[in-house]
Amino acid sequence: MTRTRRPGISRRSTLALMGAGAMTVAAPWVARAQAKTIKIGMPTILSGRVAQLGTSSRNAVMLEVEKVNAAGGLAGRQIEMVIRDSKGQPQEAARVARELVNTDGCELLIDAEASSGAFAVHEVARDLGVFCIHTNSETSALTADPKQHIPNAFRTARQGVHDSIVGGSYAAAIAKAKGLKKWATCSPDYAYGRDTTAEFTLYLKRFAPDVEIISESWPKLFQPDYTEVVTKILQAKPQALYSCLWGGDLTSYIDQANIYAMFGQMEVFAVNMADYTALTVVKNLPKGIHSGNRYIKTFPGTPENAAWGDAYKAKYNEYPTNWSWENATAVMLMAEAAKKANSADGKKLAEALAGLTIKCPFGADGTVTMRAEDHTLVGYAIGWGTTIPQEPYVPEVKAGDWKTIFELEAEWKKSKGYT
Amino acid sequence: MTELEAGRAETLVPGRGVTTVWERYRDILIALIAFAVLASLPLFTGSKALLDFVIRCSAYGLFATSLNLLVGYTGLTSFGHGMFFGLGAYSFGLIMQRLGVPIPIAFVATLAITAVVAAVIGAICVRLKEIYFAFVTLAFQMLIHSTILSWASFTGGDQGLRGGIPRPVFLGVDLSNHIHLYVASCALLILGLLAMRQIAQSPFGYTLRMIRDNAARASFLGIDVWRAKLTIFVLAALFASMGGMVMALFVSGAYPEFAYWTISGEGIFINMLGGVSTFLGPMVGTVLLLLLNDTVTRFTEYHGIVLGIVILFFALGLRKGLLDFVAEWFAHRREAGEGR
Repeated sequence: MTRTRRPGISRRSTLALMGAGAMTVAAPWVARAQAKTIKIGMPTILSGRVAQLGTSSRNAVMLEVEKVNAAGGLAGRQIEMVIRDSKGQPQEAARVARELVNTDGCELLIDAEASSGAFAVHEVARDLGVFCIHTNSETSALTADPKQHIPNAFRTARQGVHDSIVGGSYAAAIAKAKGLKKWATCSPDYAYGRDTTAEFTLYLKRFAPDVEIISESWPKLFQPDYTEVVTKILQAKPQALYSCLWGGDLTSYIDQANIYAMFGQMEVFAVNMADYTALTVVKNLPKGIHSGNRYIKTFPGTPENAAWGDAYKAKYNEYPTNWSWENATAVMLMAEAAKKANSADGKKLAEALAGLTIKCPFGADGTVTMRAEDHTLVGYAIGWGTTIPQEPYVPEVKAGDWKTIFELEAEWKKSKGYT
Repeated sequence: MTELEAGRAETLVPGRGVTTVWERYRDILIALIAFAVLASLPLFTGSKALLDFVIRCSAYGLFATSLNLLVGYTGLTSFGHGMFFGLGAYSFGLIMQRLGVPIPIAFVATLAITAVVAAVIGAICVRLKEIYFAFVTLAFQMLIHSTILSWASFTGGDQGLRGGIPRPVFLGVDLSNHIHLYVASCALLILGLLAMRQIAQSPFGYTLRMIRDNAARASFLGIDVWRAKLTIFVLAALFASMGGMVMALFVSGAYPEFAYWTISGEGIFINMLGGVSTFLGPMVGTVLLLLLNDTVTRFTEYHGIVLGIVILFFALGLRKGLLDFVAEWFAHRREAGEGR
């Protein structure tokens, strides 16, 4: 019998040994290459009623991250996004944020949560000391209240009080020109609706003192039927109506009010109208509704903004939302801060980010600034205009004046006891 | 008591009547071992996610087990048990934020507040049976939830309690330290479970089972059914409130979602998953649900579909909770072994 298998090391073992050897030698290189990527965690709402907004946040972030990665990454490290659903529940948002940092090894957070979820993630950032940018919460207190302030958290969303100042002054100018004295309000019955309406009427009366609120309606959030609200307003016969209904609530309200030909009988100011999610869904968009800008690619009317809106549409086959520009701005700011600090370390980023001004398609003058004193975004495009039923929907937007905003915001902060 | 349930009670408490020292202290011993194992976990693993998981299990486990005292032991299917979870979180958070008292005092004060509220709500609800009881508890839950939302100057409205819950050091325990919070949560969980176990195994616990099986008979035997139901309603509320406090400490805040009906729904779902006829069923259900939730949300945002399929599997496939299934399987095997 011939033995084909000779004693000693077989070919297979040799290969295996060689492979193992190669792995040992290469391991540090592989590890180093992996350490070069930086993970950014992002809790957001991807299921439930506002999933569309969460998805648009993710889309915008991915669009910008691709650009940053193509340009070499965050201080030379490629960005890897870890995006997870919080279902819009604050306890889940807190859990997911902790998991992203503690288990998935995310070094930075983009918090794309709304209202209470943002405050829950804020507490996680306070606990863990991780760098965090809030991108969707417009609640002024998140950055205005000094009790909330921590050195590692920022906000790139618009702020409620800015909106109210610009809206109030814009509406007051029209009220004076057209003699609109009797006003009604109709806003959703929760903190955002109540606060925003109160602030809007505060500034409206400040600029046009003879305005009088003759009727208030507070439909429930996500209410399907607005008949009683519409008839109540029609009976009060106001000359103008203010509403901060948003999303699906606003579109069903308009569809139902159209049946009563409401929009021919009064001037309507709906701050959340000029967002593609509302503009493109309403069946018969009435002409001449006054609205604040959310995201619209014609304002600011620069080629950069139009190009950004078109690039987003080309990639995702839908227009960006208010949350999209806010999230895109977060990535742009991080990229510039990393350049300035020449590092992707959270602490160094935070230092570089405070007070940083960058070129940005969503800036009122082509730039936006992360204000150093309260870590919130200022100088973004903010204005009001009137609607037309087809694209570009809001052809002319009158820009708000940031000097006035700063003055009144400082006053407002004082009145709240924040400064 | 039906024959099936009588058999079940026997498997739960083997050889009642002949009480040895071992049997008397068995629960306490198990509790001590469980606590020792849980508390020594941080020595073996540096995984903060695991510790977070156990903290959340403590919060939901206390809540779900207390719900089982009502559903499984007394036959009161409460759809509004989550209100006490939210009440605990809010009372504790508000007391710590506004009064700045030491944590143990806030803890006891929260339990006192919960007891009063539960006594008032319970006095109205426990007179009712079945679906009426379920819906009136649900109505009270929505009342508390709406109060939290509209009383914005006090509760922060839909933004919740903001600014974090201060956690001053007491007796050397610093709850802002992750490990300390973890051990404290485990201790609360074990103490809570042990106390609930004692309630369930006491003569009062057996009174509750009798009320569940035949309230008229209990009444004829001279038991004040209303008082017994009210007592367990308040006791269960206290443990749910403890769960709420653990959750408030974990997220360092309190949010209206804690008092929303979905929390009660999750409690019912946990009981369905784990089983209501064994004491630890809800605890098993808690671990299952949180594990499912955490793993599924890592991979897909369509977690609703996955969880729905799991519910269907338990409802249509097993027709009972997991621990019920296991317990019955063991009983079946033992019977087969004895050649019955």
